[in-house]
Parts: sequence; structure tokens; C-alpha cells
Amino acid sequence: MNEIVRERRLLNIWILRVSITLCALLIAVGLAMFFVHGNTSMPATPSGSLREMIHTSIQGSIGFHASAFLDAAIIVLLLTPMARLLAGIYVSARVRDWLYVGIGVVVLALVVIGVVAGQSGV
Amino acid sequence: MSSSLMVMVILFGGVAAGLVGSLTGLGGGLIIVPLLTLGFHLPIPEAVGISLFGVIATSTGAAPRFVGTGLSNVRAALFLQIAASSGALVGALVAHHLPARLLFAMFGIVLGYSAFMSFMPKHSDVAGAPESSPLARRLRLASRYQQDGHWRRYQVVGVMPGFGIMIGAGFLSALLGIGSGAFKVLAMDRIMKLPFRVSTATSNFMIGITAATSAGFYLSHGDIPPVIGGAIILGVIVGAYAGGHLVRALPVATLRKLFAVVLLLVALQMLLKGLVNL
Repeated sequence: MNEIVRERRLLNIWILRVSITLCALLIAVGLAMFFVHGNTSMPATPSGSLREMIHTSIQGSIGFHASAFLDAAIIVLLLTPMARLLAGIYVSARVRDWLYVGIGVVVLALVVIGVVAGQSGV
Repeated sequence: MSSSLMVMVILFGGVAAGLVGSLTGLGGGLIIVPLLTLGFHLPIPEAVGISLFGVIATSTGAAPRFVGTGLSNVRAALFLQIAASSGALVGALVAHHLPARLLFAMFGIVLGYSAFMSFMPKHSDVAGAPESSPLARRLRLASRYQQDGHWRRYQVVGVMPGFGIMIGAGFLSALLGIGSGAFKVLAMDRIMKLPFRVSTATSNFMIGITAATSAGFYLSHGDIPPVIGGAIILGVIVGAYAGGHLVRALPVATLRKLFAVVLLLVALQMLLKGLVNL
């Protein structure tokens, strides 16, 4: 059991450190580009499915568009609590705690429904 | 004001929100929404959406402090998260159909309450219930935590009332762009009798997931302008990091009361904007 607790702790710390660092770096690059290009107007606000946003963000980053890096940072931040939730489900599955695997899946489904409901413009 | 200058000012506003939120424990969301609506005249759905990302950033930044300490009750967090995320989902749906004036008035009331509570004495960290309720036993919510080098066991009661408060906390979080940490801690500490430190650590884990439920809605709905959102998020990360280091060097109790007075005035302004559209 102690091994599982250690695994959960390491997994969580890794997720938190990587995501917050990546998010801060992507925003710093995006804002630096925004200032360097001397933009007078704000880039378009993204909307739609996460898949579309990720695709647009990757395409935009190839062209060094500020908004692509900023969109990517926002998506990374949104995925961080979901990744922690997935880590919790994984660790519960490792100890065959199926009740909490089920509860974790329900919570994850609610987060996904939030994204889907927003894109449908309810 | 040019857009570059405006973004710089918003970035520093985000730093201030992260700093004040981390020093006072009031949460960044309570500062970001008034900053963006009263200061920069952003529509309230955009301010709330951006603030929710600020809440995720604050929760993510503070989380390593709690991970591995054994303080967070993961089972209680996951079970109560069903309620908080359901409330957040409904809150995000409802927020886009409510008049802005009502949202301003509600924000003013919640901000005023949170600022007022800063003057109240802190709870003692004593486990309460002698025995877990049948539902808490079925869900295996009782646990233990370490204090002064000793393991202390605690029991859990009031699961369904706590679940009900979490629905409300999630709803308010999505509606107003706040972490609702104070309400979550209230449910766990006062109703479910979890020790205060356990409630705080468990609440931190829950705040991020609750905010993500509604933040995803606001993002895919097209409410997050990337430059303003990015500036606020980076500012909050830097401010919360600095606050975490300054907390030992500054007279936090005095600062907390000082900021609470400022927030009471901001709450009044939000309330007036809602009631008489000032």
C-alpha cells in the first residue's frame, strides 16, 4: 500500500510541476510575441471543440502566432485537473478499488460534458 | 489606452490578485472578476471564465504544498466532487442566461461575506465526530492525518448535507468565477467534521476540478480572449509563487484585515453596479 501512496504522490507532483511550468512558458512566449509584433488589436477568441482548438493552436504555433501559444497554455491548464483525476482513477484501479474508479469516471465525465455543452452554445 | 499597455496593466493586476489571494487565503477569483469588470469593462461572462482559469492556476500552484502530506482525503474529495462538478455544470449553463446586473449583485454579496469572514477567528484543528455515519462507513471516508509527529484518526458524518452544500459551492464557483473554497471548507469542517487542515487540503484538490468543469464550458463557448486570459494566468502564477515565499516575512494577519476592508468596498461597488447599474 505504501508503494501505491508513493506512486500517487510522485505522479501528482510530476503532473503539477510539468503543467504549471509548461503553461507559464507558453504564456511568456505568446505574450512576448504579442508585444514584439506591436499588435494594436487583440487576436480572435477561440471556441469550439478541444480537438479543433488543439489543431488550430499547433498550426498557429508553426507560423509563430502569439494566440497559438496562449491557446495552448490555456488548454494545458484546463487539462491539468483532468490529468490529476486520471491519475487518481489509475491508482484506484491499481488497488482494485472499483467503487472509486467508478466515482472518478463519473467526475471525469462531468468535466468532459462541460466542454461539450459549451461548444454546443447552450 | 493601447492594447499592449492594457495587457501589461492586466498582467500586473494578475500578479496582484495572485499575491493578495495567496497572502490572505481569500482566493484570486474574488479579485480578478472585479478587476476585469470594474477596471477594464470586460463583459462579466468573459471575466468569470478568465477568473476560473486563474482559480485553476492558483490551485495547481498551491497543490504541491498538500500532495504527499497525507492531509488530503482523496475518497471524500472524489465523492463530493460529483456534487461540486454537477453544481458547476448547472452554474455555467445558467450564467449565460442570467442578466449581468444579477451576477454583479450576487458577486457583491459573496465577496462581502468572504471579506467579513476574514475578521472572524480561525477554527481549532480538532477532529470532531466520535463515530462515522453509516454512509461514511460504506464509502470508507474515515481516515487519519499526521499532526506533531503523531497519527490522528478522524471519523466522518453528515455526508449528504455536505454533498448538498458542495452542489451550491460548485454552482457559485461557475456562476461567479470563484474557487468557493470557503464554502467547501465549511461543508467538510463544520458539517462533515473533518479536521480543519484536512478540509483545507481536500478543498484545494477539489477547487481545481470544480473550476475545470465550468472553465471548459466557458472556453469552448468562446468566452476566453487568449491575450487577456494569458496575462491574468501568468500574473496569478507569479503572484501566488511570490506570495508563498513572502507569507513568512510579512504580518499576514494585519494584511488580511487591511485587504478585507478594501474588498468590502469593492463588494459594495459590485453590489451597487448590480442594483443601480453604477
